[in-house]
Amino acid sequence: MIATIAFGLLILAAGIQIAFLLFRERKIDGFSHYIHLAAAALLLAVTIDRSIRIRFVAVTNTFESLVFFTAVIALVLFIYRLRAKDKTIPFITFGGTIVAVALLAVASSPIAPKDILPPIPALQSSWLVLHVTLSFIGESFFVVAFVCAIYYLASKDEERKKNLDRLTYTTIAIGYPIFTAGALIFGAVWAQNAWGSYWSWDPKETWALITWLVYTAYLHTRFVKRFRGKVSAVLSIVGFVFTMFTFFGVNYLLAGLHSYG
Amino acid sequence: MISTGQELQFPVSPSKTKVRLLNLEALYKFFKSIKLAVVLILTIAILSIVSTLIPQGKDTAFYFHTYGAFWAQVLLRLRFTDYFRSLLFLAPVSLFFVNLSVCSIDRLINRERRKARRRHGPDLIHIGLLLLIIGAIFSVFTRREGMVYMGEGDEIRLPGEYTLRLLDYQYEEYENGRPKDWISTVEVSRDGEVLIASFSIEVNKPLKIGGINVYQTSFAREDRATLRDAEGTSSPIASGEGFEWEGAVVIFQGIEGTIAVFEKWENHTRTEAYRVGIGETIGEYTLEELGSRDVTGLQAVKDPGFIPVVIALILVATGLSLTMIQKRKDKDI
Repeated sequence: MIATIAFGLLILAAGIQIAFLLFRERKIDGFSHYIHLAAAALLLAVTIDRSIRIRFVAVTNTFESLVFFTAVIALVLFIYRLRAKDKTIPFITFGGTIVAVALLAVASSPIAPKDILPPIPALQSSWLVLHVTLSFIGESFFVVAFVCAIYYLASKDEERKKNLDRLTYTTIAIGYPIFTAGALIFGAVWAQNAWGSYWSWDPKETWALITWLVYTAYLHTRFVKRFRGKVSAVLSIVGFVFTMFTFFGVNYLLAGLHSYG
Repeated sequence: MISTGQELQFPVSPSKTKVRLLNLEALYKFFKSIKLAVVLILTIAILSIVSTLIPQGKDTAFYFHTYGAFWAQVLLRLRFTDYFRSLLFLAPVSLFFVNLSVCSIDRLINRERRKARRRHGPDLIHIGLLLLIIGAIFSVFTRREGMVYMGEGDEIRLPGEYTLRLLDYQYEEYENGRPKDWISTVEVSRDGEVLIASFSIEVNKPLKIGGINVYQTSFAREDRATLRDAEGTSSPIASGEGFEWEGAVVIFQGIEGTIAVFEKWENHTRTEAYRVGIGETIGEYTLEELGSRDVTGLQAVKDPGFIPVVIALILVATGLSLTMIQKRKDKDI
């Protein structure tokens, strides 16, 4: 129920943002980011409520992960809107809001059961909590980088392109270390502690590594003149598509250890 | 891998070794290239994607059935069916290792020479990654694991003369029947001296002793048959175990109702099945008693490669944090 209200709020924010983009091109709306903040607060409340009920941090199935992920995205969008005075920001927050709405739509669908269940033994670990939460926090910055890169490829204005390129880079530069720590480092430590094997090449692990390689390549394209700009932007988009595939695609299309989400 | 745009000068006089050195220099230049790094990283990524689309480690027939003769042969020849142990994966990773080593050395040398901005973050990440690859290779060659099922009172020997005795085994469920925990309580001793009187091994809580970790991995119900030999000595065997008889092996399969099922195997072929009731004989033995019990599945792992891997991960994490702090200071982020 609370998650549904948050869902409604995000759709409302997207509506306001698109209206401003279409009809009042020169003006940045002054309040939709507070709707983001409200949505983030509600979604975090859902996480806290479920955590109390299962007596564990509620990030142990697809629904809970999506609620947490969307909450962080909304929060990141809010912070970016507050800090950045740039003209590109309305489009970026709008793009980010669409991603958040899409994720919550998946959360509300039958592929994400909403039962409140305490975690099975394999998930009862602090390493798992670090693994999941940090992965999603890092990926929230990748959402912003993804939208920036799309805007970059669509833009013709050189000054705007420069700003977008920079914003793509800085968001990935923040998201990458957090994602590396969460997905790979704490993931490996948890796996070692739970199964005695820090890496098993299961499809989800492999896809997380592939995603990490793409972002690693992205960061290094910045030092190669020929790759800077377009190739970088494309890698930022590919990185995000792979992030999403690692999260959803692997669970539903490829079988593996990570069957719980 | 920040490019400095400056070539490394070899401290030698241009004499007769010049041609060879030039080649060496070209090689050095090739391997310190960030472009090469990007290309290698993306190559590894693309090949890995393909590998996740092809089921790994199946038998030959599976690939012929699924992909047809031509593609099956292509996949098998390239060893795409065992990708992470194939040259397809190991060759680019090896090149990447050389690339990263040269880049790291180049960065360190150039910084010393130019007294450039001190940015140790990326160096730590790169050295961490090199150590990670070394640790992973070490793991591949040195990791040992073994799986054992134990009932209450059973003992096993671990490498290093440790003896593990199962004191208690419990399975806990949530109210709705989902598993909550498996707990195996064990006693550890060595040369008759008790080292740990009681330790509860749970999922996510392995026992660590002498470089060996013991994990709670599964549980099962095990059938047991007590057999009495001609001399009157009774001994229990568990399902899956057996004894020799007339040059063949007889394996106890399990209990069906009140009957024990045995199978006779000769040269890897099952030749006969026996159904034996209590008091009846099989081979030189008389079936005395049947029963079943809960057993816990424990896995012992010794992986000396994990220590370098942990150090590598700490280096990478430190490097990432340092880079982020430095970038914030420079207002890069």
